[in-house]
Amino acid sequence: MNAIEFILAGMLAAATPFLLAALGELVVERAGVLNLGVEGLMAFGAVLAFIIVYHGGGHFLGFVVAGLGTAALSLIFAIVALGFRANQVATGLAIGILGQGLSALFGKTYESLTVKGLPKLALPGLSEIPVVGGLFIQDIIVWLSLAATLAIWAMFTYTKVGLVVRAVGENPKAAHAIGYSVITVRVLAIAFGGAMAGFAGAYAAVIYTPLWADGMIAGRGWIAIALVVFGTWLTGRVFLGACLFGAVSLMALAAQATGLDVPSQLLSSLPYLVTIIVLGIISADRRLLKLNGVASLGEPFER
Amino acid sequence: MTHLTRRNLMKTAAATGLAGALGSRLAFAADEPLGITLVIPSPIGDVGWGHALSAGLDLVKAAHGDKVKVTILENIAEGPDADRIMNKTVADGNKFLIAGSFGYQNGALQIARRDPSVTVLHASGFQVAPNFSPFAAKYFQGSYLLGMAAAALTKTGKLGSVSAFAIPELITTINAFTLGAQAVKPDIEVSVVWVNSWFDPAKEQEAAKALIAQKCDVIFSNAQDTPSVIAACEEAGVYAFNLNSSMKKYAPKTYLGCISTDWSPFFKASVDAHLAGTFKGANTFLGVTEKVVEVIDWSPDVPADVMIKIKEIEAKIADGSFSPFTGPITKADGSEGVASGASLADAEIIAMDWHVKGVATPLPK
Repeated sequence: MNAIEFILAGMLAAATPFLLAALGELVVERAGVLNLGVEGLMAFGAVLAFIIVYHGGGHFLGFVVAGLGTAALSLIFAIVALGFRANQVATGLAIGILGQGLSALFGKTYESLTVKGLPKLALPGLSEIPVVGGLFIQDIIVWLSLAATLAIWAMFTYTKVGLVVRAVGENPKAAHAIGYSVITVRVLAIAFGGAMAGFAGAYAAVIYTPLWADGMIAGRGWIAIALVVFGTWLTGRVFLGACLFGAVSLMALAAQATGLDVPSQLLSSLPYLVTIIVLGIISADRRLLKLNGVASLGEPFER
Repeated sequence: MTHLTRRNLMKTAAATGLAGALGSRLAFAADEPLGITLVIPSPIGDVGWGHALSAGLDLVKAAHGDKVKVTILENIAEGPDADRIMNKTVADGNKFLIAGSFGYQNGALQIARRDPSVTVLHASGFQVAPNFSPFAAKYFQGSYLLGMAAAALTKTGKLGSVSAFAIPELITTINAFTLGAQAVKPDIEVSVVWVNSWFDPAKEQEAAKALIAQKCDVIFSNAQDTPSVIAACEEAGVYAFNLNSSMKKYAPKTYLGCISTDWSPFFKASVDAHLAGTFKGANTFLGVTEKVVEVIDWSPDVPADVMIKIKEIEAKIADGSFSPFTGPITKADGSEGVASGASLADAEIIAMDWHVKGVATPLPK
C-alpha cells in the first residue's frame, strides 16, 4: 500500500466523527440555535457507547444508547437556552463542560481499555479498482453517515420539513406568525444535533480507535463546529470540509512516514490551514455568504 | 508533649548545625503526616506514564504508612491551570510535590523558590534548585535492546516509531533504537511520525497505520499513554513495543516488549531525604544500572541467539561498561556525531537534538 492508497482508504473513516457531529450542528444552527457543547456531547456519547460495547451489548445498542444519552443531555441545553432564554454561547459551553465531566466520571474504571471494532464492508466491483479501491471498503457507519449527508441535503433542498427548519432559523417571528411552533422545532433540532454528536463520539470510541481514554475526543467537536461555519451552513460544503480535513490529516502523517523533508509542526497544522483556505475560497462571495448565513443564529426567541 | 518534641527537635537541629528552616520542617514532619502530591497531565489508566508514576509511590506508602498522605491529581493540563492547582495543594500543607510533566517546570520551580520547606521532583526537566530535582529515565538503554530484537524480526528492513514531540528524551530513544537495530543488521531504516501531541489516541493510531502502509513491520510506540498504537499493530499483525508499563494484554500475539520504568526506589530515597532534612536538589538521570529502567515481557518470537546477545549487552549497560552512544556514530546529515571510541556524557544525551544515520524522517527544527 503506498501513501496515496493509504489516504484514500482511510480518509472517509477519519472524516466520519467530524462529519456526524458537523451534520448535527448544521441542523441545530439552521434552526437558529448555536450549541457550542459538541465536544462534551461527543465525549459523553463516546463513553456511553464504550461501556455498552465493553460489556457485550453490541455496537448497535452502543450507538442507540449514546444517541439517546446525548440527546437527553442536549435537552438540558434546550431547557436553559430556549425555556429560560439564557445566553446560548454560555449555556452551550456549560453543557459541553458537563458532558466532558460526566464522560470522565463514567469512564473512570474503563480508562485505556479496548474493544473490537466493526468489520469493513466492500462495495462489490468498485473495491477491486486499483489505487482508489480502498475508498469503497468501509465500515457500516461510514456508509450510513454518507447516507445521512444525502438525506440532510435532500431534506433542506426538497422537503417542507427542511423549509420549516430554515424559516425558524431565518425569521422565527414570521414562522411563528404563520403557525409553526418555533420552540418545538428548535427543541427537536437540538435533540437531533445532540444525538448526532453522540453517534460521532460513539464512532470514535467503539469503531475508529476503538478504545476509551478520558480526553480522547481531543478537540474534534470544536473542529466540527468550525466546519459548519466554514462550510457556510451548506450540507455539501460541510461534507467536503470534513473529507478534506480527514484526508489532509492522514496526508500529513503519511508524508512523515515516507520521510518527506517538511517540518512536522507544519504538517500537523496543515489540515486546519488547507480546510480554512479551500472553504474560504469557495465562500469568498460575500453576497452568497450573507444569503446562506442564518439570520437569527444565537438569538433567543420571544413571542 | 508536642511542644516538647518540637523544642527538642529544634535543639537537635541547632546542635547538628542544620539551618533553622530545616528544623521547622522536621518539626512539621513529626507533628502530622507528610503530604505528598503527584500531578500528572493524563488520566491514570492501567498502563502508561501516569500509571508508572503513581505506582512508584506504592513503596513510599508501604515504607512510611501513616507518616505520609499521598494525593494524586490526574489529567491536569500544562499551563496556568497546573500552576494554580500546584499552588493550591502546597498551600494546603502538602510539602512534597511531584510535578509529572515537562510543562509544569516553571510553575513548580516558582513554588520551590518561594517556599524552601517544600521539596519538588520534576519529570524530564533541566532546571535544578536546592529543593528542586528534575528526574528522567534512560529509556534509550532499553530502546537499544529492543532495536536489536526488532532487527532480528523485521522482514522488510523498515522500522517505525510513532512519537509524541521532538524533545531530546524521545529523540534519544529513537536514536538508540536505530543504533541497536543497526548493530544486528547494518542497513536498517527507521521512519518516524511525530504526532505533536501527548494525547490523541485516534491520531496516534492513524500515524501507526501510516507507518505500516510504508511497510514498517516493527513499531515503537514512543511515549503514548494509551494502547492506541499497540492495539493497531496487533490488528495489522506487526510487532510493537512501548515505554513505561506493559501493554502485553492489548497485543497478545505481536507484543515485542516494554521498556518499563520503576520510580519507587527514587521516590522513596527522595521522601526519606526530605523527612531526614537532607534533601538536595540534583539532576537525576536513572537507567538500567539503578534498576529504574528494565525491559520486561519480551516476545518469545525473538530468536534465542539474538536474545543471548541482548542479555550480554544488557549486563554491560548495567555495569557501565557499554553505552549505546559510543562512537563512531554518524549523524543523519552525514557529519560526525560521536568520534570513534568516545561516548556521549549524560549532559550531552539529555540535550541531544540530532538523529543518527538510518533515521529516514528529517528531524523537525
